[in-house]
Amino acid sequence: MTTGAKQCSPVMASISPGGSGARSAYRRRGGGRARTLGVVIAVLSGVLAAGCGGAGEPAAEGRALTMWTFKKSHADALNKAAGQFKAATGITVTVEAITPDDVFVSKIQSAAQTGGLPDVLELHAGGEDLEIGASGLVQDLAADVGEEWKRRLLPTTRDAGLMTQQRIDLAANDSPFKSVKAGTLFSVPFTAGAFGIVYASKEKLRAAGLDADTPPKTWEDFLAALKATTAKDPARGGLSLGLKVSQTGLNWIYQPLAHSYLGRDRFQALFAKGAQQGFGSPDGIRTLDLYGRLTPYWMPGSTTLGIDEADIAFAQGKSAFNVGGTFTLAFLAQNGMSPDKVLTFPIPPSSEGAHKEISMSPLALTSLAVTSTTENRAAAVKWLDWVTSPTGAGVVAKNSLDLPATDLGGEAESLLGPDLAALQKHFTGPAESAYEAGDTTFFPSDYDQVKPGNLLTRLTPLGEVTAPQAGPELDKIMGAMWKSTK
Amino acid sequence: MSTLTAAKRSGRLRGEPPERARRLPEWLVGWAFVLPAVALFLVMGVYTIGSGFALSFAKWNGFTPEWTWVGIQNYLDLLYADPSLAPEFRAAAWHTAQVMIAVPVLTVVISLPLAVALNSIRRLRSVLRSVYFLPYVTSGIAVYYAWRYVLEPDGAVNLLLRAAGLGSLAQPQGFLGNPATALPTLIVVLVWSSVPIATLLYLSGLQAIDPNMIEAAQIDGAAQRQVLRRIVWPLLRPITAAIVLLGVRDALHGFQIFLIMTGGGPGGHTDVLGLQTYRLSFMKGLAQTLGVASALGWLLFAGALLLTLVNARMLRRVK
Repeated sequence: MTTGAKQCSPVMASISPGGSGARSAYRRRGGGRARTLGVVIAVLSGVLAAGCGGAGEPAAEGRALTMWTFKKSHADALNKAAGQFKAATGITVTVEAITPDDVFVSKIQSAAQTGGLPDVLELHAGGEDLEIGASGLVQDLAADVGEEWKRRLLPTTRDAGLMTQQRIDLAANDSPFKSVKAGTLFSVPFTAGAFGIVYASKEKLRAAGLDADTPPKTWEDFLAALKATTAKDPARGGLSLGLKVSQTGLNWIYQPLAHSYLGRDRFQALFAKGAQQGFGSPDGIRTLDLYGRLTPYWMPGSTTLGIDEADIAFAQGKSAFNVGGTFTLAFLAQNGMSPDKVLTFPIPPSSEGAHKEISMSPLALTSLAVTSTTENRAAAVKWLDWVTSPTGAGVVAKNSLDLPATDLGGEAESLLGPDLAALQKHFTGPAESAYEAGDTTFFPSDYDQVKPGNLLTRLTPLGEVTAPQAGPELDKIMGAMWKSTK
Repeated sequence: MSTLTAAKRSGRLRGEPPERARRLPEWLVGWAFVLPAVALFLVMGVYTIGSGFALSFAKWNGFTPEWTWVGIQNYLDLLYADPSLAPEFRAAAWHTAQVMIAVPVLTVVISLPLAVALNSIRRLRSVLRSVYFLPYVTSGIAVYYAWRYVLEPDGAVNLLLRAAGLGSLAQPQGFLGNPATALPTLIVVLVWSSVPIATLLYLSGLQAIDPNMIEAAQIDGAAQRQVLRRIVWPLLRPITAAIVLLGVRDALHGFQIFLIMTGGGPGGHTDVLGLQTYRLSFMKGLAQTLGVASALGWLLFAGALLLTLVNARMLRRVK
């Protein structure tokens, strides 16, 4: 991070006219051309020197770190935590937020080309971190993260940044994963959570004559509640979801619903190569039909809303229900909806399904990685260690209202507050009915969830296809993706 | 001192260049002025174009140090070989074609009469010209967001339609949420933003027409309609060609409006090639799709080049 001047100095030396060789050549020619050239070079050198001087701060080896994140709320919380870290270690950490996600990715791409990466990156866990790691941009932390460190983390998140042999085997032949050694640890889980959490407005539930403190037990109860709230207020009593990002319907509602209806194996078979028990099978069509029953209850214009916009619409009272993740609560609070005014519950299982209960296994949502270009490795690892300790994670969680991947144990409620801590209850349940959103082992290696997401949008709310039509179409889409996987 | 000064003065009087200017040869001064622009072009233009073209023959996610060369596979994948990419490409190409035809045609149909009307009035011409030019000045991301609010289910357009007793035309899901109205609505917004510049071009064209020619036609008994058809329209044909070309170019390359207003939705109904290029580049996580995005960009370039050649040929024929 402070290498700008060092990298520039050789360039400057090579073009400087001040050396004796250059001087004698200048005298030999004695002409105005050489002198003019000297002036031009001197000016260029000055410009270069100024540019290089501005690129880096005075070197403070091991005492100052830079970090990039793609979440503004995390940057603020991390900078607050950095103050405590500095008091404890003397190491300064400066955290910068680069948003939105696509800008963050392109910034890393360009920084990787120009050698301008920071020391630490916060990345999407379980995918982005592995891809960036396999591309050689972050370091292997396997030797640093010992058993004691791992034990602090929620069990289902511990291996999010680990390159396993299974991941390597499942990758396409031209994937950078193929060149990585199994057991390489590219990142440490930082925040955790789950998708498929329904937020209901207690006020609207009461207005519709429903019990505002008891969540619907089944999918059918949920649909009945939606029917009641939309009957009470057709324009503002429906379900909001950011379907402009079409995969939200697939990931956050359909998949948990289908998982609880079919059970783990039959659910995974829907996506399998060959699709003998795919979406066009009775299993697939039945689950699509269940999902399609939402059609009358969507908030008007859901297909035009992004994720944040749908959350804001719910916070503004434009819908009675909203689907998001555990991370949504913080965003709703930021937008003026007090957590005590919402009832939360996971996507309820169908009464006719294999499982009568559902729980959401927490998955690592973001993770921390040390870049391969850092000159402050030891300090960076120390920062990761501290910020994923109960103390550091607690400070960040309290300020960002985001659940940490670190198990806060008995301190959770005091650190997170009762509402955020209460979301953790959705993480526990019978193992067989736990939905693991982080398990992607049954997808094609180049799985693009936008494609099935678009088709599900055409099923509901658009109603352009029926469940029996959507099933074979989805099989076709999955088949094409399996075929593209080389 | 006086001797030196006198010599200098006499030199100047003889028309000799001053000593300083003699020491700075013209070629160097010229290069000093041109070099920054040339260097900028070499780095930002030639290098990026060359690099982008090379990338279209490779697979890369933007992070790995090496590219994986795949030859023309990226092009073939887009056109037919990849069962996952090719159908999306075809659907986006169809949407792009609709925009490419509708936007220029509607722009011409609206802006020409508007320019003729503006040209025929004396009072308030500058005020009206400013008013019509306003969408062009304010066009951009903020305006697209504003349009989104106007087109929402409870937005101004639905409100107006209901207030005017035309509730049957209102869209309960919003104009952008209904697959049947989403693309036409985007076309209308695109036309709205392209009409001002087209009107201005036509207006300048109309003002350049020799009034004697029109007067002569009128003396010969030509009606206003005939003057427009037989004299004005042929003389404005080069401007029409330029407007059409601008519209086609915007349709081929533009993606901001689609990204902001619909993101290609609902259900992929407004996906266009420009947006697909952007998505393949920056919204595919870290999949190795930069090469295929580049290939798509070059296909668009080829399309634009072809249309430019057709346009140039048309212009030659008009001349």
